[in-house]
Amino acid sequence: MSAPRKSLRQYFEAYAFLGLLIAAAVFFSVWPETGETFTSAANLRTLISSNSVIAIVALAALVPLVCYEFDLSVGAIAGLSSVFVATALAAGTAVPLAIALGIGLGVLVGGINALLITRVGVNAVITTLGVSIILAGVVNQKTSGLSVTGSIPLGFSEFGSSNWLGVPKIAYVLAVLALLVYYLLGHTPYGRYLYAFGSNREAARLVGVRTKLTLGLTFVISGALCGAAGVLQVARAGSADPKVGETFTLPALAAAFLSTAAIKPGRYNVAGTLVAIFFLAVLNNGLNLAGSPEYVSNYVNGAALIVGVGLAVRLGRRQEV
Amino acid sequence: MREELGVRAGARDTPTVLEVKGVRKAFGATQALDDVSFELHRGSIHALLGGNGSGKSTLIKLIAGVEPADAGRLTLRGSGEDLRGMTPARAREAGLHFVHQQRTTFPELTVTENLAIGRGFDTGAGGRIEWRRAQRRAAEVLERFRIDADPRQPLAELGPAKQTMVAIARALQDQADASEGVLLLDEPTASLPAPEVKLLLDALRGYADAGQAIVYVTHRLEEVFAIADRATLLRDGRVVATVEPRSLDHEQLVELMMGRTVEQIERLRGRPEGRTILEARAIGAGPVTNLDLGIRAGEIVGLGGLIGSGRSTVLKALFGAVPLESGEVRVDGELRPVHSPPAAMAAGLAYVPEDRQKDAAFPELSVGENLSLTVVPDYWHRGVLNRRRERRDALGLFDSFLITAASEEAPLRSLSGGNQQKVVLARWLRRAPRILLLDEPTQGVDVGARAEIYELVHRAVAAGAAALVASSDFEELARLCDRVIVLRKGAAVAELTGEGLDADRIARVANAEVKV
Repeated sequence: MSAPRKSLRQYFEAYAFLGLLIAAAVFFSVWPETGETFTSAANLRTLISSNSVIAIVALAALVPLVCYEFDLSVGAIAGLSSVFVATALAAGTAVPLAIALGIGLGVLVGGINALLITRVGVNAVITTLGVSIILAGVVNQKTSGLSVTGSIPLGFSEFGSSNWLGVPKIAYVLAVLALLVYYLLGHTPYGRYLYAFGSNREAARLVGVRTKLTLGLTFVISGALCGAAGVLQVARAGSADPKVGETFTLPALAAAFLSTAAIKPGRYNVAGTLVAIFFLAVLNNGLNLAGSPEYVSNYVNGAALIVGVGLAVRLGRRQEV
Repeated sequence: MREELGVRAGARDTPTVLEVKGVRKAFGATQALDDVSFELHRGSIHALLGGNGSGKSTLIKLIAGVEPADAGRLTLRGSGEDLRGMTPARAREAGLHFVHQQRTTFPELTVTENLAIGRGFDTGAGGRIEWRRAQRRAAEVLERFRIDADPRQPLAELGPAKQTMVAIARALQDQADASEGVLLLDEPTASLPAPEVKLLLDALRGYADAGQAIVYVTHRLEEVFAIADRATLLRDGRVVATVEPRSLDHEQLVELMMGRTVEQIERLRGRPEGRTILEARAIGAGPVTNLDLGIRAGEIVGLGGLIGSGRSTVLKALFGAVPLESGEVRVDGELRPVHSPPAAMAAGLAYVPEDRQKDAAFPELSVGENLSLTVVPDYWHRGVLNRRRERRDALGLFDSFLITAASEEAPLRSLSGGNQQKVVLARWLRRAPRILLLDEPTQGVDVGARAEIYELVHRAVAAGAAALVASSDFEELARLCDRVIVLRKGAAVAELTGEGLDADRIARVANAEVKV
């Protein structure tokens, strides 16, 4: 009873998804059709750096998801942040100030989400959907639908495209943020309360969890992470595309959902989110290199989400006695 | 209670309707059921009796085809089924009708709609529902099952027992003959208050006397004595005995069920009176108006009363779970705000809610996490959550709170009801609260766990706390409490103590203004 030991099956359930990620990577490395390009440093670096930004957005979606609340505005906030940061940088704002602006905007929108959800009592899906539509309007008004391509300081965009020890610098930022979220969820009382809240809201209230504060903060944290993702997107691309934010939302949410199928089965978790993001990234990248048409990746992404979460639900149910 | 329900028809010599043989089921290393068999006779009620984790619910699930069995056969009126390949559809075809513990009726819909759902509506041209015909059918069904209700009434307007009867009628309505199928009930009285239980049991007895064969899963001995013709006792997944409850007394049955004699816990009446710990003056909340309470250290005070009397509201308001509309609360003589659960916790209060599944359990979280949620900040030191100490403390709590669980990491939902309730109690008692607010502390737990929960409460008050217990089970109040305050429509109408404290008197005072 004392030493918690895992059965073989539990290990399998926890790491099967990670195994799939590795298997996919190995497959595309040895498959003659893709092997050469897939394993090229340039391809791997692009794959890692572009998906690092999406992974941060996925971490943002993960935090409210632990409370079983959906944040549909994650992509929109990242897009908002990137457009404003790029504009500010082009206008000569100092880099630290621009970074603070991006994260601050995220916190601001997250705070608005939080107030609407916890104080006004609007459902989170509706709130964040509405907010994301409004943000799309803000971005459009600000950019007239055109990319912001002004003069971004060289050092800033270099950070986004250069490597450290052979790995894109952006990946280190992801690693730091992922560790922070991991620490928050797994090793603080607040994280514990989030999981309790997600398991049984009323019971959480009745063991003294300050529910409104707890829930509201998840949207603020989510906003801050999205703001950071927006900043990194500018660094990586050297510009800000007003449409890029929207393309983040669905893959990020999908990965956050899929995290329940990996590493800590049955629980939305950080490591599982990263595994899911990079599993889908490797799969899409490999198929792309093999010359499959773009719609195939849509099929793959959608099916992976349904199969992954479906399996996790079934496994969870089987464990019930 | 036995006399109240009348004498049963003998059922020993009637033909066998259902035979279940050699059922086995393992979950991982746990053998949940090991070679379980029983027989059900026509027109009889057969109880499946067992404590938490005895396997009785699993057995029903296997028979219903909700889960596959590892082995076992079922013979229904001569035709056999292998339980390994059982499915819910096959069970239904074979004539097995289930009424599960969870609510499967729809309170907002009418009785007619409730009866038609699952069976299908009679439709006319264009798929239009023929309401008049449906109404007429419903009226017939209500008549046949002797349910006094209007088909057009929303189900919620009926009492809880009648709602269960509607669920039973829905399951059985298409049986041409009462002896055709089998009715299996899984703890149908789990959430019914005492007077409603009697209503339902009477109805079941009536159905059985009309020839219906009934399997009745329960852990409540009184009910077995009241209605069962035979009882199969399960313990740790094995059949301990199949008995005729009439030939046994209460103690013998408990012994068979638990595998040991249950020590009666002596109520410590006339304890030395301590200081007043909780003092509530003129409090009002919901139905409760102008209520005064004073509870001393070492005292267990009961709140009796019918549903709607405000007994649960008093506890909720003291804990800040519902707003306290008026009055003041003092703890150890000091005025304390109790506007929210955290404030109440800071004042030394602890609250075990009435509905464990809805308001207290975190089913997916581990037992350890469930135990520590009230004290998480204590493990937070210099930016680190001390998991090792948390785990060690959890195992310590397993011992001191008599919790049986596979491990500290097992999800709470894998525990039996009684063990879950002990986890919830332990979660609060580990904080060493000044005042323990308990709402239905033993709801849905078996006799063994019940005795253990009483013991834990006694231990807590012996250490200087005070307890306020609300319960619909007046026996429980009489047994556990030093005095009982009876509420009627939100006001205290009597306080019973010493010789004057017994279940009958509580019931009589509580009912005084209610037409029987």
